[in-house]
Amino acid sequence: MIAVNWHTCFFFLLALVACASAVAVVVTGDIVRMACWLVTALAAVAGLFFLAGADFLGAVQLMVYVGGTMVLLVFGVMLTSRGPFVSMKTGGGQWIMALVVGGALLTILLQAALSVPEWSAPERSQAEAAVPPTATPLGMGLMGIRVDQPEQPNRLLRRGMSGYLLAFEIISVHLVVVLVGAAYLARAKRRIEPERLQLHDLKTSES
Amino acid sequence: MTELLTYFLGPIWPAYTIAALVQCALLLVVALCSAAVFIWLERKVSARIQDRLGPTRVGGRFGWLQPPADGLKLLCKEDIIPAAADRPLFRVAPYVSFCATFCLFLALPFANGWVALQLNAGAFFLLAVAGLEVFGVILGGYASGSKWSLYGAMREAAQVVSYEIPLGLCVVIPVLITGSMDLVEIGNRQAGWFYHWYIFHDPFMFCTFWIYATCAVASTNRAPFDLPEAESELVAGFLTEYSGFRWVIFFMAEYAAMFVVSGLGSVLFLGGWNGPIPVASLVGLSGDPSTVAGWLGNLLGLANFIFKAVFGVTCMIWLRWTLPRLRIDQVMTTCLKYCVPLASIMLAGAMLWTFLFSGGVGR
Amino acid sequence: MMSDRPASEIVDFDVHTDEMLINMGPQHPSTHGVLRVALRTDGEVVTEVTPHIGYLHRSAEKIGENLTPRQFLPYTDRLDYLAGMNMNLGWALCVEKLLGQRVSEKTRHLRIIITELSRIASHLVAAGCYGLDLGSFTPFMWTFREREKILNLFEEVCGARLTYSYITVGGVTADLPSGWLGRCEAFLDQFEPVIDDLHALLTNNAIFIHRTAGIGVLEPAMAIDYGCTGPVLRGSGVDWDLRRDGEPIFTDMYEGYTWRVIASTGGQYPQDHPYPPVPPEAVLGDSWHRYFVRMLEVVQSMYLIRQAMEKYSRAGGVVDGPAQVKAKLPKGEAYLETEAPKGQMGFMIISDGTPVPWRVRIRSSSFCNLSVLPELCRGVLVADVPSIVGSLDLVLGEIDR
Repeated sequence: MIAVNWHTCFFFLLALVACASAVAVVVTGDIVRMACWLVTALAAVAGLFFLAGADFLGAVQLMVYVGGTMVLLVFGVMLTSRGPFVSMKTGGGQWIMALVVGGALLTILLQAALSVPEWSAPERSQAEAAVPPTATPLGMGLMGIRVDQPEQPNRLLRRGMSGYLLAFEIISVHLVVVLVGAAYLARAKRRIEPERLQLHDLKTSES
Repeated sequence: MTELLTYFLGPIWPAYTIAALVQCALLLVVALCSAAVFIWLERKVSARIQDRLGPTRVGGRFGWLQPPADGLKLLCKEDIIPAAADRPLFRVAPYVSFCATFCLFLALPFANGWVALQLNAGAFFLLAVAGLEVFGVILGGYASGSKWSLYGAMREAAQVVSYEIPLGLCVVIPVLITGSMDLVEIGNRQAGWFYHWYIFHDPFMFCTFWIYATCAVASTNRAPFDLPEAESELVAGFLTEYSGFRWVIFFMAEYAAMFVVSGLGSVLFLGGWNGPIPVASLVGLSGDPSTVAGWLGNLLGLANFIFKAVFGVTCMIWLRWTLPRLRIDQVMTTCLKYCVPLASIMLAGAMLWTFLFSGGVGR
Repeated sequence: MMSDRPASEIVDFDVHTDEMLINMGPQHPSTHGVLRVALRTDGEVVTEVTPHIGYLHRSAEKIGENLTPRQFLPYTDRLDYLAGMNMNLGWALCVEKLLGQRVSEKTRHLRIIITELSRIASHLVAAGCYGLDLGSFTPFMWTFREREKILNLFEEVCGARLTYSYITVGGVTADLPSGWLGRCEAFLDQFEPVIDDLHALLTNNAIFIHRTAGIGVLEPAMAIDYGCTGPVLRGSGVDWDLRRDGEPIFTDMYEGYTWRVIASTGGQYPQDHPYPPVPPEAVLGDSWHRYFVRMLEVVQSMYLIRQAMEKYSRAGGVVDGPAQVKAKLPKGEAYLETEAPKGQMGFMIISDGTPVPWRVRIRSSSFCNLSVLPELCRGVLVADVPSIVGSLDLVLGEIDR
């Protein structure tokens, strides 16, 4: 049923790397190695994007997550750790709680993913097949022109298909505000200590 | 390549496998040979600038065999790992750097259609992967277990990450004028005589090229931006504990990155595989690369591209041996106070120019 | 009565980087010798600098108590080994002062040719190594290429390239070989364009100016307090050069010569030659000015050599050979400071009437120049420390003796 071709092989390989790295993030004690395993996991996800034909999204994943977020994480870990090779140990009770919460989340996600009919039998619609996988449709969608769904019968849904550009800009400005705020909060702070009463002052007033 | 093999063997999986492997091997050969050639070129060019000769004995009068000799020597060196080092990370770090740099070759077009992966978002992909090389540096610096290496690694990471911003802005401008991020498309748009090259397209593009050159030199950590590798101050920065083969891998990554960045600059601004005079089309060798005539014309384009990329690398080598080194705060000042505002102004200017004079984007 | 309350405290309470103790040296990639500079840094900023010396101590002064002055001459070569001729001259003049001897005219002119060539050689090393410290590798090669030519000339004269022992008590060990003056003149003629190349690569280079201008500013008063001399003192604008202002036995050597002391008087350097302009970022007393003084002194030395060659050719008489000082030295003491390339080099000889001195003392110019390093490096970035150390032009041979 699953065709044996390179596509499937690479899919399983990348999926295995992603899942194993994710597990390793949780299991490893050394904090820097944790960050490195996270990098591997995110890079494997980028590989999955490339495999699915979403070149742009794969490149975005590499640039934003691996190149940006992970560099930030690694900087933070390396510069603020007290000494080299800091380890984190999680206790038994924490493991159990994590398994419960994580397991619940996994069940919900699996159930949600498997219940969408379009996702289990990937038959691409006619309109979708006519659009080549380039970055142009993404750009057009940003402006509000959905080339993959030219005829949307539902009027309400069509009205909701306005471009994402405004939302994109708002989020960008929001990020700038967050960055500026973080830089402001992290600046070197100075405070004038109020003059404290000294012991000899008390003695002098007594005598 | 794939079509060739499927023609002979039929559409069976060995054909695709062999095609992929051959393309991989070809790219690997290009990456490694470029590193070897640039090592030799650096030694000769630096020697001539310093009024001496450089290698003249190994392999004839011009020292052709010096890079293999160097490689052999480094291979035979003792493999030293410091006691305080994090061993797995220490071992992995050079390869992370090299893999990131090698991936850059996947999307770099060497001629019209001669690219391993013709991505629609090619320019963006190159920018994204270029930022991954810094991981190997950080890991290497951290895993060496010495505070000197860590500081050098942090400085280098800060520098590379900061210069990604103006680099990205400079890359966006030719993309804007072409209307596509596909590098093959950008190259083809500059076909013809040399005045079709984007560097002569408008004055903003001309300035952008020089800003791109500065950012490219900074992002590959070459002088005058090579403080992380400064000998007189931090011994060798993050490279301090690396010797022998691991050092070779780091340096191959650096030279390969120089080639890619130079090649990208030539595709974006200098016409890529199009020569100043369209000899191929004049002689009648132009056309679809799948025809024999087109293929031969493409060969000429390949020569053009390699010449331009090597010339760019030679200019980088020239800069290194002429200029002193900038301090780290001066490096960051150059990026944040000069390159970023200038690149933004160029972006705005190029947009205005295309609207006013060229009738919009993508013409 | 209430005693004074303590002043309000300003407290930094954010994330504070640890102070770090970093060692620069003694094996230093920059060729200043075996100097160990201990830095206390707060992040990238240096809070305290402590130089540690003594790695090259060879008890030269003690050895001087066991050898006659002529036997001690080779030990002076090894003090400032980059300018051995100037060290020889300092010692020879000091002993001649004790003995009350004067050399002939021809010898005087010959000594000027040799010592000024040595000064050029020393300043070439300073400029080349300074570029090397800042990451500019090419000027190092070019200056050493020119230095090779000077060392070839010296080899023809006395047979040695570094440890000459040529200028000795009473004169020089041997006269110039035939044709040497022509070769020397040929060297000077081809050397002038090279200086312009060095100006293009270093002096006027924007990055070099960024790395040196305004860095390590030395106030004239502090320079005098710490006993700094030579280009370090003149770079701060103090107009003082022993070749003009020193003791008669030394300044008489330069009598009849036309040359200028390179110091910025009234905000301007001497205008007798088309020197490159001073960039606006350079502050008087910073590293750039110290380096600039050396480059200008090279041109002045060239003028002196040309004049000396002409005077030597025209002078009658013979060149004095080494004096016979086998007999007892006259009782007494003599101290003489001469203008060596790196500063004022002082030699003292106290004799108690025996053939060997009772005490030999060497006042090292680089020692006093080095002493001002902690003051200059306060509050600079770590990358500026090699820039400041290079501008002081130290050589550990004379610091440690």
